[in-house]
Amino acid sequence: MNGALVNTRKLLPHAAIAILAAFGLWLVALSSLAPATHAAQVENGLEVYASPLEIVVSPDGARLYVLCQESREVRVLDAAKYTLIKSISVGHTPRGIALSHGGDRLYVTNSWDDTLSVIDTRQLAVIATWPVAGEPSGVVADLAGKHIFVADRIANDVAVLDAQTGAEEKRLMAGRGASYLALSPDRSRIYATHVYPNLPPVRTGFENRTPPQSEITVIDAARATVVDRIPLKSITGVFHMAFTADGRLGAVAEYHPKNMIPLAHLEHGGAFAYTLTLIGADVGAPIEIPLDELDRYASQPFGVVFTLDKRSLYVSIGGSECVLAIDVQRLLHFVHSHPRPANNSFATDLAASGNYVVARIPVGANPRGIAISRDGRSLFVANRLDDTISVIDTRTNRMASTIALGDGKPVSAMRHGEQTFYTARYSFQGQIGCSSCHIDSTFDGITWQLEPSGFGRDIVDNKLLEDIKGTEPYKWTGTNPSVPVECGPRTEKYFWRSEQYDDRTLADLALYILALPPRPNRLHSPDDELTPPQERGEAIFKRAVDKFKKPIPESNRCSYCHSGPKGTNQKLFDVGTRKPSDNSSLLKTPMLTNIALTAPYLHDGSARSLEEIWTIYNPNDKHGRTNDLTKDELNDLIEYLRSR
Amino acid sequence: MTMPYRRPAAALAFALLVLVCGFASSRANAPAAQIDCDMIVTAAPVYVALAELHGQERFPRGAQLLLVHAGKSEPLVAGFAASADANLSFDAQTVLFAGKRNAGDPWQIWELTLKDRSLRQVIATPADAERPFYLPGGRMVWAERTPAGFQVQSAPDGHPVDGTTWNPTAGPGVLPLTYTRGNAFPAGVLRDGRILFEAGYPLGEGATPELYLVYADGSGVESVRCDHGRARWGGTQLGSGDVVFTEGASLARFTSPLAHAVPVAAPHANYAGAIAETASGAWLLSARVSASAHYAIEIWQPGAAAMHTVLSESKDDLVEPVLVAPRPRPNRHPSGLHPWDYANLLALDVRISRDGALRGTPAHVRLEAQDVAGTTRTMGTAPIESDGSFFVEVPSDRPIRFALLDAKGAVLRQEHGWFWIRSGEQRICVGCHAGPERAPENRVPAVLLRTITPADLTGKPPASALSAIAGGSSK
Repeated sequence: MNGALVNTRKLLPHAAIAILAAFGLWLVALSSLAPATHAAQVENGLEVYASPLEIVVSPDGARLYVLCQESREVRVLDAAKYTLIKSISVGHTPRGIALSHGGDRLYVTNSWDDTLSVIDTRQLAVIATWPVAGEPSGVVADLAGKHIFVADRIANDVAVLDAQTGAEEKRLMAGRGASYLALSPDRSRIYATHVYPNLPPVRTGFENRTPPQSEITVIDAARATVVDRIPLKSITGVFHMAFTADGRLGAVAEYHPKNMIPLAHLEHGGAFAYTLTLIGADVGAPIEIPLDELDRYASQPFGVVFTLDKRSLYVSIGGSECVLAIDVQRLLHFVHSHPRPANNSFATDLAASGNYVVARIPVGANPRGIAISRDGRSLFVANRLDDTISVIDTRTNRMASTIALGDGKPVSAMRHGEQTFYTARYSFQGQIGCSSCHIDSTFDGITWQLEPSGFGRDIVDNKLLEDIKGTEPYKWTGTNPSVPVECGPRTEKYFWRSEQYDDRTLADLALYILALPPRPNRLHSPDDELTPPQERGEAIFKRAVDKFKKPIPESNRCSYCHSGPKGTNQKLFDVGTRKPSDNSSLLKTPMLTNIALTAPYLHDGSARSLEEIWTIYNPNDKHGRTNDLTKDELNDLIEYLRSR
Repeated sequence: MTMPYRRPAAALAFALLVLVCGFASSRANAPAAQIDCDMIVTAAPVYVALAELHGQERFPRGAQLLLVHAGKSEPLVAGFAASADANLSFDAQTVLFAGKRNAGDPWQIWELTLKDRSLRQVIATPADAERPFYLPGGRMVWAERTPAGFQVQSAPDGHPVDGTTWNPTAGPGVLPLTYTRGNAFPAGVLRDGRILFEAGYPLGEGATPELYLVYADGSGVESVRCDHGRARWGGTQLGSGDVVFTEGASLARFTSPLAHAVPVAAPHANYAGAIAETASGAWLLSARVSASAHYAIEIWQPGAAAMHTVLSESKDDLVEPVLVAPRPRPNRHPSGLHPWDYANLLALDVRISRDGALRGTPAHVRLEAQDVAGTTRTMGTAPIESDGSFFVEVPSDRPIRFALLDAKGAVLRQEHGWFWIRSGEQRICVGCHAGPERAPENRVPAVLLRTITPADLTGKPPASALSAIAGGSSK
């Protein structure tokens, strides 16, 4: 091939070369007017889609910075023509993006690399990549240019970095699964939210029967200290937050599960409410307001933005594939004209949203990040799963245009499966999708009670989906032999409560779920070398005799049930954890992949930590021989497990 | 009852669209608006709206289905003394309807294939069978006269879907969907798969027409909205999801964001039952200017000041307009009923009600049930927890109702009417007449912290008694 090119060049006269050179220059010039699309990518034999997750608008309003998660890049678009100016490569699974106060720096968190990309917005190039441990997610920069704040999903904290050097100065404890950060308009306060509920701080014996609790962690940006924690009662996933320009009203998008009630039907908000919590001087004490209606739901709210004039509030609804437009004056009127519920929540009133939601605007697949143009006339919506940006005219609340980021390649089976995973369209009245409970394809950190077991029976902990291929059967009782069975008729009947996808879509969904890779285990050395505590823990995990030299029956060794590369022999055992409300004592051995992240533990979520599995729930050594271990030895065992 | 076919073309006026100012002036012999697809209507000399709900004949002088094509009408079917209640299949290939071969026959359900005009009888019963509707998944619903009144029934429609039984719990045969005394008639099938039906309010005993919903396996029965008021009937779901219906003689709608019906600002007229929505969003309505006039088919663009006559006849009421065009298939309901001969009900907080605060503290719930003859029998009581929750096992597939009692046994609140729970259904109520706008709080009901065994109100002999009987017989 190269030889042929050389031969061709030999044949070209100088004039022709000059013409081609001119043509090349013209092509270069033309590239500045190129559409917002990008060349197709393939990785590991799979199509790579842009997957726009977040958008920010440059301070002068001239550019859009679009964070494309799957293609690992920031696409810089002309905000007027929507043409591609440049694509900037960043790290693995980028999740957060923010501009410095002056707009000269763009920060991107690379959640699976544990790094932060620093982009010079004049050069449109990465000028530094700083380490940030713990799955960096949301990011903001302070007013003074002194600190960068990074929410870390698996570290459950906010890292405070020196804005010049990237050196980590300290970490502030935030909620579990800390993921999103918002700045107050004056940049004096930072509000951190988190996607998994906090574990109950006090053991009561009813942890798994207690509504989930989340929080907004409020940070003083100048002092880099936590100054408040605003409780969010009965809330699991908490996502973006936004403020009005006057700082008097903030709104945060969140999921309000009904996991304390048997999941018997979906009508009347039987599984979830999707809500906003409002804070600030305009409302007084924080108040929760619903986004759902009687007959259709606002499944999985994510992005939130106010117009500069405070007239409207927009919320992207990932599972319902729409954006809600809320009239702020009508919203405040509703809040103040109705008796405030004792629990500061209107979440049980499905007729409330009719008072303030003024438009439900259909957009693309899985809308996530949203941003308003500087003139306030356009709302940009990142449709993560169809590689488009919807542009909505804020004066009419109608779609003005759609920016295509893809190159027109067809939707692959894998992509179709992912779209199916994130949509709520298959459930009754569009209330839930897979991702309602498996946030970002993981889990939700809470327990549920499914109707077929009988009311009040079989409380079950929701499990991580990553890396589940080859760990069948599924369900704690092991009654589902495969993902297609798990996600097929049973899901249709007992979750969706409505006609679901066809067989092809089910196959695509299963393909997507079974291909979910495990996120990197930060406690597992890349070269498989164990730390001394992990080594000691591994020895305990594999031991055949206890400390009193008594043989441990094979079936009571950790390594017997939790064998194989994923830590499960895929069989059912009675480990002595059956509760009176459980229909069976036999439970399928769960896998150990990233077990450190998936609290609570045991089939019914009664153990808040790995330690509690053995210190509280293994009195008779039925869940492995552990009662001969010292505290230090148990710690070693747990250190080993955390590296799995 | 016989209604021979009578001069349709002569009595009907068709023309290209001509603007007509005001409803009243657009009456008899006026030029009419034309729609861009075929339409089926029911023509009857006398149409008595809501007569069925009172057990009367709504077409006492017969009725005839007309197919309106390119401005001309003709009988849809031949050889019937009466025909009515057209419902088009989702692909617009076939039509279900109620028909009488002879005037003295009961109404039966038939299906017409439009392409070749072939006919088949779908439902043959000794009693009247009316108001058929296609369901997704190869099934259909209709109303059938029983000793307890007209009841909504479901059965396969004779068109197997890929040879698959889509809803095995519903069974291959006839499945009753309503289980109260009184008359119930299907009015439509919503996109979410639920069946909209008309019955009296309070359900099972009242006479005010109201709209209710039920899943295709008979579970989950409830009012569409709980702002019960004037007579509601003839609901149709629009493309927007709103349900438009006749309220009294006016039009109103249920819309997803609101817990109450909203009047439709349509021109003043008497409206009758179901409407049809055209592809452009206009509505085909059956309306008349006064009680002494005949109903005609009008077209109205929502928001417009006037509507225009599409079809009128000087001697007939024209009702039940149906557009001959494919339409979206509703979702099939995947029945999750368990193979039990009873049902479970979990109430989360009986104190929550649209009817206001209770006069005292509820201590017990009393269950009453009706037998086949309509005799009411008290099935027993169960405790109500301090948080207002209770958990009971109840008899299924028959009318039941609850009453809340205080500690002394005095009735604090009696349920409005009767409802039912299907065999194998496990149902959760947020409150007692809480309304569909009320979602549950996220907390474990106290009753489930105390017990996971429901209080048995089925009237069955207790298990211990059964054991004793078994033991005794073995000796």
